[in-house]
Amino acid sequence: MSTPAIQISDLTKRYGKDRGIDNINLQVEEGEIFGFIGPNGAGKSTTIRVLLNLLFPTSGEARIMGLDVVRDSKVIKQKTGYVPSDANAYPQMETNEFLQYCGRFFSRGGNERRIDELTELFEVDRKRKIADLSMGNRKKISIIQSLLHEPELLIVDEPTMGLDPLMQARFFELLRSESRRGMTVFYSSHTLSDVQMLCKRVAIIREGRIIKVEEIETLRKRQLKKIFVEFGSAEEISLAGLPGIEGTPTVTGRSVRFLYSGEINQLLSVLSSRNIADMTVEEPSLEEIFMHYYN
Amino acid sequence: MNMNLFRRELRSNALSLLIWTSVITALTALTMSFYGVFLENNEKILAMISIIPEGTLQFKGISDVDDLFSVLGFYSANNVIYMLVLGSIYSIVLSSGILLREEYNKTAEFLLAWPLSRSEIFFSKAAVVFMNVAVINIVTAVAGYITLEIVKREPFSTDAFIIMSAYTLLLNLFFASLGLFMSTLVKRARPITTLSIGLVLILYFIFTISNITEGFSVIGYATPYKFVGMDTLAPDYRLEFISVLYFVGLSLLLTFIAVRLYRRKEIYL
Repeated sequence: MSTPAIQISDLTKRYGKDRGIDNINLQVEEGEIFGFIGPNGAGKSTTIRVLLNLLFPTSGEARIMGLDVVRDSKVIKQKTGYVPSDANAYPQMETNEFLQYCGRFFSRGGNERRIDELTELFEVDRKRKIADLSMGNRKKISIIQSLLHEPELLIVDEPTMGLDPLMQARFFELLRSESRRGMTVFYSSHTLSDVQMLCKRVAIIREGRIIKVEEIETLRKRQLKKIFVEFGSAEEISLAGLPGIEGTPTVTGRSVRFLYSGEINQLLSVLSSRNIADMTVEEPSLEEIFMHYYN
Repeated sequence: MNMNLFRRELRSNALSLLIWTSVITALTALTMSFYGVFLENNEKILAMISIIPEGTLQFKGISDVDDLFSVLGFYSANNVIYMLVLGSIYSIVLSSGILLREEYNKTAEFLLAWPLSRSEIFFSKAAVVFMNVAVINIVTAVAGYITLEIVKREPFSTDAFIIMSAYTLLLNLFFASLGLFMSTLVKRARPITTLSIGLVLILYFIFTISNITEGFSVIGYATPYKFVGMDTLAPDYRLEFISVLYFVGLSLLLTFIAVRLYRRKEIYL
């Protein structure tokens, strides 16, 4: 059995009395594209900064490719690429100068071939000063620098922020092809559609705690269904005796919408005794599932 | 130490080094060019100086008015403001910002994600600080020596000049170490330039007060200026062992503590 790309065990990080992350357990397999989703302030960036040794764990431990993130940080970083959420590269440098500077940390030659390849793919003007670049272009530079040394693990934090749809598509395609080559991707975002398109598994983090780690497909296929029922009249609306309703149903006129996690047969059996004018059963979107977990 | 980072830091700090060195050299040359006029008008100058309060003279590094009429004494009095104060400000501003700037500009997220240990980052940047402080000291000292040679009316002691320059370098290196140390204590990333400049001026002010106020001479020992030999015309003027020990010891200690703190520093962005 191969060593997990990322192994987080009982990891806690506190900022004095304030919560950072609390007792996180997570395992990301080699070659996997793993989603890490949660709203702003949930603890995504804190987790990443502990993995990168910008912050030190309060308790617990994290390992990357079997190596301890505190003790073996330098070795880990030789094999890891990182796209920070704030693409604040050195503003006074020219793009080309910055990329060569990054490249020289990994190889003496500065990975010129790889710089050519990636700047061409992302259509980057290498002569411009970073300070003069738009947010999207700075993001592209940030992505390129993270991939120069063909890392075994890529950690990305809100990577598509500022990227236009065409560049997003190219970036996703690049991640997929690098993943096929064996690179693991730890994809942190609050944009569910990105995670849905790209990742196989996802961890949902809320208020510093992991509340679910699930395959994207399982999340979708979980018995959670989106139900729409139109009754004969508003007075006839009644869901009494129906277990498995998640959250509060939304009533509009004589119709009602709700998320349902029970048996479909039971739902049909209960509703069959009512005066139903129309009914639909749909797969909820990941967004709706996500909101369900958060509510 | 990482040469890629070292070279990059050298380049990014070259302009400020050039500006500070040029300004201090120009000020020194300009001031020394007045030496001839100063000598020719000694009576008027003495009359003028007699109305200046002693504290003000001390603050400007003039402890004995007669010393001003020797070329080395004249240079030394100016050196106090130019290198002992301005040079120290340059040293502490450079050193207190070199690590912190990565944090408040948020470039630390790149720097700390590259394969560098914290010690390598610290020493690569500290080496640039110490090298720049050495360069500004050497260049201004050489320029100062040349101006002395040009304006002198009588011979001066080269040994005393070298000793004074060595004291200046030691003091500046101490402030460089202090700046590095202070920057590792800052938790939430923000510039500490004003604090650093203020600290140099306060220490110099305390030193001056300790010199002119009876009963306060002891508090002078709380400042590094007390350990700088400033009496360049004294026959026994030399590099005191206790001063060298003080500056080298404290600089090494502060640097050692700073690197240990930086290795465990939480980088909040």
